[in-house]
Amino acid sequence: MTDSATALDPVCGMTVDTAEASAKGLSADHQGTAYYFCGRGCFLDFTENPERYLAADYTPSM
Amino acid sequence: MPALEIVQLPIEGMTCASCVNRIERFVNRVDGVSEATVNLATERARIAFDPSQTSLAVLKGAVRDAGYEVVEQAEEGHEAEDLDRSRALEMDDLRRKWVVSLVIGLAMMALMYLPLGLERPLVAPVLLIAATVVQAWAGATFYRAGWRAARHGSANMNTLVAVGTSVAFGYSAFVTLWPSLAADLGLPAQLYYETAVIIVALVLLGRWLEARAKRQTGAAVRALMELQPPAAHVVRNGVEFDIPIEQVRVGDVLRVRPGDRVPVDGTITEGRSAIDESMLTGESLPVDKAPGDEVIGATINSSGSFLFTARRVGTDTALAQIVRLVTDAQGSKAPVQRLADRIAEVFVPIVLGVAALTFLGWLVFGPSPAFALTTAISVLIIACPCALGLATPTAIMVGTGKAAEHGVLIGGGEALEAARAITAIVLDKTGTLTRGRPEVTHLYPAAGVTETELLRLAAAAETGSEHPLARAVLAHAHARAIALPAATDFQAAAGAGVIATVDGRRVAVGTALHAGVGQELADEIAEGGATPLVVSAEGALIGAISVADTIRPESNGVVEQLRALGLEVWMLTGDRRRTAEALAIRAGIPADHVLAEVHPDGKAAAIRTLRESGATVAMVGDGINDAPALAEAALGIAIGTGSDVALAASDITLIGGDLRGIVTAIGLSRRTVGVIRQGLAWAFGYNVLLIPVAMGLLYLPFGILLNPVIAAAAMAMSSVSVVSNALRLRAFRPPADAAEILHPGLGARVRDVGYLVAIGLLAVVIGGAAVVLANPAHTDATSSPSVQPMEEMQ
Repeated sequence: MTDSATALDPVCGMTVDTAEASAKGLSADHQGTAYYFCGRGCFLDFTENPERYLAADYTPSM
Repeated sequence: MPALEIVQLPIEGMTCASCVNRIERFVNRVDGVSEATVNLATERARIAFDPSQTSLAVLKGAVRDAGYEVVEQAEEGHEAEDLDRSRALEMDDLRRKWVVSLVIGLAMMALMYLPLGLERPLVAPVLLIAATVVQAWAGATFYRAGWRAARHGSANMNTLVAVGTSVAFGYSAFVTLWPSLAADLGLPAQLYYETAVIIVALVLLGRWLEARAKRQTGAAVRALMELQPPAAHVVRNGVEFDIPIEQVRVGDVLRVRPGDRVPVDGTITEGRSAIDESMLTGESLPVDKAPGDEVIGATINSSGSFLFTARRVGTDTALAQIVRLVTDAQGSKAPVQRLADRIAEVFVPIVLGVAALTFLGWLVFGPSPAFALTTAISVLIIACPCALGLATPTAIMVGTGKAAEHGVLIGGGEALEAARAITAIVLDKTGTLTRGRPEVTHLYPAAGVTETELLRLAAAAETGSEHPLARAVLAHAHARAIALPAATDFQAAAGAGVIATVDGRRVAVGTALHAGVGQELADEIAEGGATPLVVSAEGALIGAISVADTIRPESNGVVEQLRALGLEVWMLTGDRRRTAEALAIRAGIPADHVLAEVHPDGKAAAIRTLRESGATVAMVGDGINDAPALAEAALGIAIGTGSDVALAASDITLIGGDLRGIVTAIGLSRRTVGVIRQGLAWAFGYNVLLIPVAMGLLYLPFGILLNPVIAAAAMAMSSVSVVSNALRLRAFRPPADAAEILHPGLGARVRDVGYLVAIGLLAVVIGGAAVVLANPAHTDATSSPSVQPMEEMQ
């Protein structure tokens, strides 16, 4: 069994396989924390404005 | 308000709802977009935009800016063109590759074998560069395909081509680049660049021929796809205007004028007309349509004007469905080709093993490592299955091309195989054995009336009618060149007949009841299986005309020829048994081979029953109601252009509806499959015979060795024999009559056997001469004095 660590996509709230996301280049480092994304849309949304998605009052929209 | 255009863009890479939001946001930001909605499940964006403010390219750019890819594919309704374009591109690419490779290969052979007085150190680098280009560019296909197979632990033709050419190329490159090292290792300075290049060229040529064959078969279907008109007259808010066909939406009300093609499928709401649906149904008579009736896109409106509501548009129309089915069908492979693939799965690893064994064997027991290497290369090259790759496509190309010349469209290798294997053939009655349209069969003038007078009055009264029976009468009058008087006060009574004033008399044509007289005459005609038209003037009997669906003139001969081909011939019809048997006997089908009183939905079941009795059944039919039977049969043959479904369900289509095409199709299929098998047998035979020689098994007893150059020549020879055998199919012509099938002329039989014997002898002579004479000669010609010639090392 390989390590199948998962993380929450901060933009849409989906559960993402970290290894898979890293392999596809769908991870971003923001202030020392790694974030993983389900797809390019979320990744780009996040990198354009990370604060918005990390704000306490932001609810991931599915 | 500007006219909005709506596009559907397929989008790749969406994973979640926020992807959807993001794309919508980006696209909606574009000026001129009025609405963009993205569907995650269907992976499509539907965008309404003003074409005067923005363009498709800008919209696609917006999607890309959002981080996603727009899948480039056919726009709805343009599948035909797109299919054509991608295939044409693929074929252009293949042709470029094989032509360039072959030219380079032949030039190499000239450089190497013609006494041009060129120094080897000068020539070899040029050859290396040219061969590298071919290997990396044209040969890439084989590496990719071979690699895909290898990853699944299997091997195929591609593997063999890749390994064989790589070894030939790699060895040559090595002795070219490091001649002294090669000499130290005792490797002969032989070059096999041209071998590698020509193998690549020939195998690609085979693939190109295959692609071309597919394309030609699709030509008639493409013509069908072009039937869709480019624009439609839409009626919105009482205003009628033209829009491109792609913009027609379900629910649009469309106007069809006389002579127009119906743009999409739908239901008539207003007006009536007769519509020619022959391109889709094979039914030659226009079909009367009234409000509530369905109309099909691509059919031709004849006289009236009507309004209809679009029900199916774009890729949902009947026409688009045909396109899709045909596209799928063309991707399929000939079963015999699959057989070749299966053999290759076993053959290829064996060859690789044998080559390895040869190498190891001679390494241990042989005269030198070089000897071991050259024999191993010979094995790989001689086993290279060019001829195998060529056998099927060339035969299919020539066979289907020849069939098309005779108006027979064969849907590819699958259909050829099926046509060869059938043992029984079922002919639908209406539209197949018969013309499918009524004709005047007899005239029964009353006492004191001439036939001409009867026909003159009846035809004049029927002039205003569009009824099939009326048309039959008019056609008959026309054929007899009878001048028709004018008819006035025309009235038609549905299901009964017509009445009109001709020469001052009220002439009635129709049922006996309608005419008011002639019941006995009518009964008599009906008894014989025909439809009676009783003619009366002012209530007095003028006579009667019998109209019936007539048997095609060629039916009889075709049935006889099919029997000569060894097939059981059956007739299938919904008619009552007595009527059916009478017609069958006239067509030459015995009464016990008549499947009568079969309901349209029972036709497939009738075929199944026959199949279960052990027969391999072919079905010949035309209409929509024949489609299930065509699909159920091992081989479906559609007459005419066939209905959409009939066409989709059939393997073979007879254009123009000449039944003799059935005989051509079956005869040609048998020949073609025969040629394919000969080709495969020939190619494998060559390999099986020559591999032991290449291994050096004849070296010990006789000193005979096949060096790789001769191996390459032998391989080319086998390709030539396979291709030339396939080309002999061009001489095919349909048999004139049954006798010719049963007793083929002496000439034909001699030609057949003679050809095979001649090519076999030629191969033996060339092979023998090559083995005996060419070995030292080739080495001399290609080795420069600076490098050790082969003989010295052995």
